[in-house]
Amino acid sequence: MSFQRPTGALVRRSCAGWLVAFALGAAVAFAAGPTYELLGHEAPDFALHAVSGGNVRLSEHRGEVVVLSFWGSRCPPCREQLAALDKSLATYRSAGLQVYGINVDDDQSRALDFAHGEAVSFALLLDPEKNVSRSYQVDNLPMTVLIDRSGVVRYVMRDYNAKAQDLYRQQVRVLLNE
Amino acid sequence: MLYAVPHRLSFNRKESHAAGSRSEGPAARRLRIPPRAALLSLAWLVIGALCSNPALAQAAAAPAAATPAAGIAQNPRPSAPGAGGAPGAPAAPKSSAAAAPPGETATAADAAPPDTRGLDEQVQGLKKDVVDLNRDLFVLEEELLYPANTQVAVFLSMDVGDFFALDSVQLKIDQKEVINYLYTPREVEALMKGGVHRLYVGNLKVGKHELVAFFSGKGPNDRAYKRGATLTFEKGIGAKYLELKINDRQRRLQPEFEIKDWE
Repeated sequence: MSFQRPTGALVRRSCAGWLVAFALGAAVAFAAGPTYELLGHEAPDFALHAVSGGNVRLSEHRGEVVVLSFWGSRCPPCREQLAALDKSLATYRSAGLQVYGINVDDDQSRALDFAHGEAVSFALLLDPEKNVSRSYQVDNLPMTVLIDRSGVVRYVMRDYNAKAQDLYRQQVRVLLNE
Repeated sequence: MLYAVPHRLSFNRKESHAAGSRSEGPAARRLRIPPRAALLSLAWLVIGALCSNPALAQAAAAPAAATPAAGIAQNPRPSAPGAGGAPGAPAAPKSSAAAAPPGETATAADAAPPDTRGLDEQVQGLKKDVVDLNRDLFVLEEELLYPANTQVAVFLSMDVGDFFALDSVQLKIDQKEVINYLYTPREVEALMKGGVHRLYVGNLKVGKHELVAFFSGKGPNDRAYKRGATLTFEKGIGAKYLELKINDRQRRLQPEFEIKDWE
């Protein structure tokens, strides 16, 4: 039995093939975006202070569709998104929709200034220690998490634009119809 | 890269020489394998990426799920009369059932409605079993996590609450914060209706311990109000129960905070 050792050229060619395959696979995976581990899992419970006073606990809203929007005062799209969420809340509140904006700023005074400037009808919550942001794996602002009536994380959006807004409306309708 | 050019040239020359001088042998076949393997691996990577991302997987599955339905709607397969629908012929029952009009199938289903009463009872029985099992597991968990010998539990109760609107309670045992609980308006309402909240349950060694509780909220005249209460207690063998009580002191028009040791 003769054993022919692969030549250097062969090895190089096979390595190049593997590298191309890996690069393309990585590109596809990157284009797909990072996975959100909480999808399909129970939403982590929390209790936070609201800017307007009082506290809000997520588990008290079982039976309602809850939208959590993580925002920062230095994020211009967050302002647009908060306004859009306010409109959607006005439409769907009677169907059982609840919206909460969770601020992730280090400086609470900035958050308060921003919150007082915004005329939104939903509660803006403060998360100065970032415990809630960490538990919801916030890696981009604005980030919106949609929780169904049984308290399960169903959808997440890591960006805000017109297309995302249409998708958000569809997803909210799906959850409200369940 | 300049240094790579001669190398690349020599690589090509060798390859062309091999291809030109010899007929396609095992070496040449081996040359074709890496791109094929690369394509295969690329396909696996794409499938892996699709599976790892639920959104993409949904997007990929949606057309796949929609295609058969759309196909049926647009192109309803006609039942070939000669193929399996010959009258009286002992053809395959499946194909004849498939070829039967939907109306007939519906009437057959109506004729023999399944008795679901037994099934409903079974479901109710299963639900009861689940509830019982959940209760047993809860008791077992409590016994395992907080054995009676070391258990210490702190409760919170509120009386009237005219002079104090509770917002949060921070609890420290032996100068270590064990809980910082925020009360929502609903919880405060429940407390004012006579509810008692189990604020903390944990384990402590036998001996002397110090409990400090900080109460935050709004006091008289709607002003921010923060008060503390301290209790040094002796933990013996057996569970220890402590109660944080918020009372209204009518004479002084002030709230009163005390810690009660349940012997």
